Amino acid sequence: MGTSSRNRLLLDIASAGDPESLRVARERVMKALEPELYSLPAVTEIVTLNELHDALIARALVLAEKEVARLGYGAPPVPYAYMLYGSGGRYEQTMHSDQDSGLVYGDTASEDDGEKNRRYFLLLADKVVQYLILLGYPPCDGNVITSNPEWCLSLAGWIRKIDHWIDDPDWENVRYLLIAADGRAVYGDKELADRLRDRFYHDMLDHPSIAQRMLDNTLRHKILVGVFGQLLTERYGEDTGSLDIKYGAYIPMVNAIRLLALQAGVRETSTLRRIEALRMAHLLSEEEAEEAEEAFVLFMRLRMLASVSEANGQWSGSGKVPAARLTKEMIAPLKKALRVGVKLQKKVQKELQRGFGGR
Amino acid sequence: MTEELNMGLNALWVMLAAILVLLMQGGFILLESGSTRMKNAGHVAGKTIFTLGLASLVYWAVGYGLAFGGEASDALNKFIGLGNFFFTPDIASVDNGLPNSVFFVFQLAFAAVSLSIAWGGFAERAKLSSYLIFTLIFVSVIYPVVAHWIWGGGWLAADGAQDFAGSTVVHLTGAIGALAATILLKPRIGRFNKDGSANVILGHNQVYTALSVLLLWVGWFGFNAGSTIAIGDGFFGFVAFNTQLGAAAGAVAAMLISWLVNGKADITAMLNGALAGLVAITASCAFVDPWAAVVIGLVAGVLVFFSAKFFEKIKVDDPIFALSVHGAAGIWGTLANGLFATEELSAKVGVGQAGLFQGGGWGQLWVQFESVAVCGAFAFAASFIVLWVVKKAIGFRVTEEQEIIGLDLSEHGSYGYPEQMKKAGTNA
Repeated sequence: MGTSSRNRLLLDIASAGDPESLRVARERVMKALEPELYSLPAVTEIVTLNELHDALIARALVLAEKEVARLGYGAPPVPYAYMLYGSGGRYEQTMHSDQDSGLVYGDTASEDDGEKNRRYFLLLADKVVQYLILLGYPPCDGNVITSNPEWCLSLAGWIRKIDHWIDDPDWENVRYLLIAADGRAVYGDKELADRLRDRFYHDMLDHPSIAQRMLDNTLRHKILVGVFGQLLTERYGEDTGSLDIKYGAYIPMVNAIRLLALQAGVRETSTLRRIEALRMAHLLSEEEAEEAEEAFVLFMRLRMLASVSEANGQWSGSGKVPAARLTKEMIAPLKKALRVGVKLQKKVQKELQRGFGGR
Repeated sequence: MTEELNMGLNALWVMLAAILVLLMQGGFILLESGSTRMKNAGHVAGKTIFTLGLASLVYWAVGYGLAFGGEASDALNKFIGLGNFFFTPDIASVDNGLPNSVFFVFQLAFAAVSLSIAWGGFAERAKLSSYLIFTLIFVSVIYPVVAHWIWGGGWLAADGAQDFAGSTVVHLTGAIGALAATILLKPRIGRFNKDGSANVILGHNQVYTALSVLLLWVGWFGFNAGSTIAIGDGFFGFVAFNTQLGAAAGAVAAMLISWLVNGKADITAMLNGALAGLVAITASCAFVDPWAAVVIGLVAGVLVFFSAKFFEKIKVDDPIFALSVHGAAGIWGTLANGLFATEELSAKVGVGQAGLFQGGGWGQLWVQFESVAVCGAFAFAASFIVLWVVKKAIGFRVTEEQEIIGLDLSEHGSYGYPEQMKKAGTNA
């Protein structure tokens, strides 16, 4: 997509005065990007798509603030940041990503004000989540969403929560820590989000055992390449012959790079930027970083492709690359990329054996 | 006195073996019902007992006489035995030989195993009446003819075909019956998609399936070691020893190959591997050294895995994996005898020669190949004709509606799992 059409879309979004016009703007975004996604989209398209998602979410917040004010609750009483997690947090959203979100707002001295703030932001959260559903962002299955009071907290509340997760790293809490690791502010006071992240990284470095727990939590997803170098495709059903690129390549790679980044105190949330930072810190050699980047870009592009069903252009979100797309020209680089993924997983396991922060 | 004691011990051992082989029907009940869906469970389990009963009567009346009757002329006896129809055994041992009542029960149990193997190709969609008709023909003619050729002094026995306990006679013959049935029946509803891809129809109880393999495995000691027909010098122990190694190697090889190829260690593949190891070692358990028993089992375990993939690819629905477990492994086991049979053991058993890798040349391998090809072709042609006639005359497969509601209800009027199936019905 050219810069001019991208700018026109951004303008459409910024000028939407109500949720319905914002929905129309999102439809325009989808239409404009659709043709690009039928072919294997380039990284720049993915970057553009994520910019547009960010703009849509930010605009939805502006409209939600207005609506809450119209209802008589006034402007936000304290600064706040709207957080994205999951693929949104990593700048890796596809056309139809879920809402994985949270909200952090400033602390107040008095308890009364605290309660008032809590009510205000829960109301705002409800509004914005509603708007985003209207726009076509389905709510998160795992209930990691701002409208869930557990994910809409003051800074002090968040810090208590993160401390609790770290003190009691059972399976569920480690899962939350993994989610939090990819969190970033998409709108609002970025400094609040930074203070939260400071605490997160500080705690992580203090508790080296958490990294091992994180690794244990993420090993379930195997990279889909067999010992003979063969692709492990779906064997039965409608998707026979397709490759689950999301859970068999993309997610394991995200997990591996995230762990290396956390271990090194790298604060980027995008996988590609994490790879770059790891290279700069000499935790990945030039060659490793280049391989990893190349592999990840391929996974991301294929994942984007897999989010479009061929038949009718519906967003199916199967996360599987259809057998027909696994052409001979595609298979060789894909196998190579998957092997890079396996190598990286092994590296992560080895690094962890040497101990978190033990360098 | 010593001779009487020997006779008694031999009779006791063969009778025990017959009981073990009969108990393998319990294995088939669990194997077949565990590998199929809940709505057919009562039918699948119950029909095994029904056909066991019917098979016993038919084998008594006709089958045993055609397999082992000694009254045919020399020329005719090459192809078929005669005599002993509606068999009345002696009430006691004659001249301290094995009582023919014991021999009959032992042989009947084998015929019944072969029949139950064939049901694998019928599963979940054949009419009950077709089971009845196929039992009549299979147990009276098809199985006895093959058994006579190899075990009853027929022409393959004269050529020196070595099939100690029935990789070909029992397993391949049964599997070929299953093949004819599944070809004529066509795949179960929902097994394959229009675009040619396959769906997996999971069995309703993997624990049953695993338990069935253990039952069959234990029963197999009667099957193989009992086939010595005597305690004699203790040779049955050696046969049992090889049987255990073959089964073990089959289970291990199948688990590993599924792990390597699919990325996940597949339980069904492993269970099939154990059975394939048993099927394959059946022909050779009295003919090969222990190391060769391990090799035969390992190859069987790998073979059964790829064979199952192959049948799926050519869109042959094999619900219980009978074609791969008993067919492919049965062929391999029979041929392997022509590769690994040792001179010493061939001489001891006294049928054929040593195999190719044991300095026996190509001769035995050729005879083994001949027996597989001829018996397979005969069993296929005969089974196909019988079932084709059934299909044309009265219909072979239940209606679509009956298949969907399940054979428990359509053929018998009540469910094997009444509570669960009623629940499923109200949800639908």
